[in-house]
Amino acid sequence: MHHNIVELKHISKSWGSVKALTTVNLDVRKGEILTLLGPSGCGKSTLMRITAGFETPTSGTVVIAGQDVTRMPPEKRPVNMVFQRYALFPHLDVFDNVAFGLRLKGLPKAEINAQVSAMLKLVQLESLSGRWINEISGGESQRVALARALVNRPSVLLLDEPLAALDLKIRHIMLEELKRIHTETGTTFIYVTHDQDEAMILSDRVVLMNKGAIEQIGTPDEMYGAPKTLFCAKFFGETNILGGHVKSADARGAVLNLPIGEIEAPVGGLRSGSDVHVSLRPEAASLRESRAGKPNGPDAVPGIVEDVVFIGSRVVYKVRHASGTVLKCQEPRTAAGIRFGVGSHVSLQYDPAAIVVLSG
Amino acid sequence: MLRAYLCAYLFFLFAPIAMIVLFSFNDSPALTFPIEAYSLRWYETLLSKPDFVASLVNSLKVGIYTSIVTTILGTLAALALIRMKGRYRQFFEWLNFAPVGLPGLFLGISLVTLFGLIGLQRSLLTVTIGHVLFTLPFFVEAMRSRVNYFDPSLEEAARDLGATQFQAYRRVTIPILLPTIVGSAILTFSLSFDELIITVFVSGNDTTLPMFIWSMMRRTVDPSINAASVMALVLSILVMAAGGASLWFQRRWAVAARHE
Repeated sequence: MHHNIVELKHISKSWGSVKALTTVNLDVRKGEILTLLGPSGCGKSTLMRITAGFETPTSGTVVIAGQDVTRMPPEKRPVNMVFQRYALFPHLDVFDNVAFGLRLKGLPKAEINAQVSAMLKLVQLESLSGRWINEISGGESQRVALARALVNRPSVLLLDEPLAALDLKIRHIMLEELKRIHTETGTTFIYVTHDQDEAMILSDRVVLMNKGAIEQIGTPDEMYGAPKTLFCAKFFGETNILGGHVKSADARGAVLNLPIGEIEAPVGGLRSGSDVHVSLRPEAASLRESRAGKPNGPDAVPGIVEDVVFIGSRVVYKVRHASGTVLKCQEPRTAAGIRFGVGSHVSLQYDPAAIVVLSG
Repeated sequence: MLRAYLCAYLFFLFAPIAMIVLFSFNDSPALTFPIEAYSLRWYETLLSKPDFVASLVNSLKVGIYTSIVTTILGTLAALALIRMKGRYRQFFEWLNFAPVGLPGLFLGISLVTLFGLIGLQRSLLTVTIGHVLFTLPFFVEAMRSRVNYFDPSLEEAARDLGATQFQAYRRVTIPILLPTIVGSAILTFSLSFDELIITVFVSGNDTTLPMFIWSMMRRTVDPSINAASVMALVLSILVMAAGGASLWFQRRWAVAARHE
């Protein structure tokens, strides 16, 4: 029994002296949506192209559905791909594009018609079946590309930044569509993107990549709430990063020396004297009125409001501590509106449990 | 002033053509105005000359052979260009087009030497080889603009959907490039049909149309030469128009495709 539909073992890839991937190990579970996320040049696209068969790894093994496919050409692999700019065939209409794979397999005409029609229905394009590729919109092209790949019933569907060429509104609609299609077909999706919002909305698990290696793997919630590295904490959403060192530590907690003063973090296993970074999400902090320079009790930082950014449902305050460090605090907008103006003396309260200590 | 200049310029450009066309229908052998009567007698004279008909047939043959060979070689070169990247591609493109700058005289002499060395008798075959060499850079250059727009991920998509490399060419790459291939083949034909200098060097006993007209010019001032020129002109225009139309449709199609 194989619970893992794809197993990438010790994959390395280099072009001459340029290393694109260094010893990547990754298991993809059957039926999940797995996102390969990272900045451009992190190796996520190369890893996908190795899975599809367009690149051969310098070393390592690719196993798909229990079969070693490392040396197998792309046309023999049980995967299909949705390309970044769709790569639809301009000399064929929508129907013939979707039928392309089935015709190569030599299926009887009636069966091709039935399967293509069913697939066009799934992506809601029945009415455009006879259109030429240059007569349909970006969102529609995206659906044709999906249908063209899915009609072959791949073990794994690879999606290479499929929404990058679409504008924001259509992108959100297509994300919903992708989730629906995933639910209806039950196909495993491997999804490459550089956009952490897309990754968080869509994925069962996220693989964060950096400089040709995997930085961290986890559910979107784990990646956001419990990043292990500085890179991961910075990549997912807005956060306050503070650098300092461990003053004292035991198994249950530690005292950290940071620019904003000493704080107690309920994190065990730190080494006394080592350098650390901590991350504090802006939404884990709140503001209280205070007298100049005096915090209101523990787990609070005194400061002066330097800037207020109003984003509709939320308000972000930038608070400057006496050390010069600026902390962001995000609060929901209340009926009272914006509570503090620029120059107000405030005390920034935080939940010690929300402090994440990062390695390095 | 400028307008007068433009009129003079156009007159200079087109008057000789108009003259030849007019005189080819002149009943009298004298090349003088006014033309008193029109007739097709020069065309009849010409078509009754077996030499002329043979040279016309030779030119058509060479043109067709050259188009076929150049199209096959040139299309393969274009397929290679799609795969090349950055600097290699630029270098290859330069290397391809550089021979266009060579004088025909040079190419003619070097080919004669080569054929002599390998002991190849001069015939329509050697003419075709010469014409393929001469037209190939133009063919690849004409394909280049379309090839630069060709998205290599189209071939990858075909492979991904189960096509072998050969099936990907046959079902995706070639059909998409076909209008450009046809246009470039027509261009090749018209280049070959008009070619004189290289042909003079590499031909044996067989004469092509431009050679026939050239030799007529040297012997007499027979007015049927006008008729011969006009026939060559009309054929060239027809072929060029077909090529132009094909390229025009192709471009409109490419522009429409980019607008999506």
